[in-house]
Amino acid sequence: MLKPTAADLANLLARVAARDREAFAAVYKATSGKLWGIVVRILPRKDIAEDVLQDVYVRIWERAVSFDPAKASPITWMATIARNRAIDEVRRKSPVSIEDAPESLDVEPGDPSPLDNAQTSEDLRRLQECLQGLDAERREIVLLAYYNGLSRDELAKRFSHPVATIKTWLHRSLAQLRKCLGS
Amino acid sequence: MMNGEDTDLIAAEYVLGTLPADERAAAALRALKDKSLAEAIDAWSRRLGPLAEAIPPREAPATVWPEIKARIDALEEVLQTPEQTKAKIIGIERRLRQWRGAAIAASALAASLMLFVGYREVVHPPEKTLVAVLQKDAQSPAFLVSVDLETRVLTIRAVAAEPQRGKSYELWLVNDELRTPRSLGIVGDKPFTVVHPQLAGYSPQVIEQATLAVSLEPEGGSPTGAPTGPVLFAGKLIQATK
Repeated sequence: MLKPTAADLANLLARVAARDREAFAAVYKATSGKLWGIVVRILPRKDIAEDVLQDVYVRIWERAVSFDPAKASPITWMATIARNRAIDEVRRKSPVSIEDAPESLDVEPGDPSPLDNAQTSEDLRRLQECLQGLDAERREIVLLAYYNGLSRDELAKRFSHPVATIKTWLHRSLAQLRKCLGS
Repeated sequence: MMNGEDTDLIAAEYVLGTLPADERAAAALRALKDKSLAEAIDAWSRRLGPLAEAIPPREAPATVWPEIKARIDALEEVLQTPEQTKAKIIGIERRLRQWRGAAIAASALAASLMLFVGYREVVHPPEKTLVAVLQKDAQSPAFLVSVDLETRVLTIRAVAAEPQRGKSYELWLVNDELRTPRSLGIVGDKPFTVVHPQLAGYSPQVIEQATLAVSLEPEGGSPTGAPTGPVLFAGKLIQATK
């Protein structure tokens, strides 16, 4: 399968905005693997993740009209929709119960960083440099939150710190990242 | 009011995903009205967005695409209605689309909901009627609201919201000028509920600019006077008249 470029995807989204179903199918084909990858890291339960992925594409269909290629790349725009929807879902649910486990997909929950073997864009390289400026533990906290959708409570348990400490660390880490990226 | 730094941290944690459910819902709601928060969220999405590049794709289950197609078909069905009706629906839809904040984006389905449950009063409304579709997302319109600004009579109809055992749906008026969400009362499980005394205390301007939100509360309503449960549905009031 030939991988569409960002410009191709932007054109396809413009057609989706005009309710072109063929273009929508092409967008799905080109991006569903990526968005599914994002969603299942946060929602390992397959049935829930499937529902969320459906919602994400229905939203893309509806909101293609508001996609602005000057503001974001098509895939970043879609990834944001997918992540927001997945996080909404994982926050809405009460803590995952034991019976959730058997249906889980084999996502490595202990792997916080797909960064290690990623091909990096200029933006990502810059962000990575800034992340390197954080203490190792604080960096891992940020990455687990981003990639696996862990809540403050879950992070507190995993790192054996009070929730208030995690919150403070998150705030400091994010402020530091902002400063670093702003330079 | 929150200062810039707070707003930026809320935005940062919203994008990172670490806000607890209630704060997350409150932030999403506030971003609809608060431009500085909406812009801060956009900026943080751009800052952290590159991280998503690194996530390896996985093949999505084959069952998902047919389901999406079916949902799109259902959405678009409304546009197969006669031309005159269609033009009016699209007019409504366009106004709905102008609402800021994609989180509560409008949809053809929202318009079709109006067609089913209240089309006549939407298209030929009395003067000064505001309407809102309260929804979790475009697929799940749950309540239809109309407000008569003259009499301050608010009518809310549960359309798809299912009663939850031991819980109550509570309706909130949200407007920055009010600082905190104000309860308009419990939404009963009957299709019609009219809450008017609660609205009488607010000026038409406050009501016109308001977002309505429904949260899930303990039976009988929020014990604190502020939303304690998740905000499940929300929508912006819009003019039903030209």
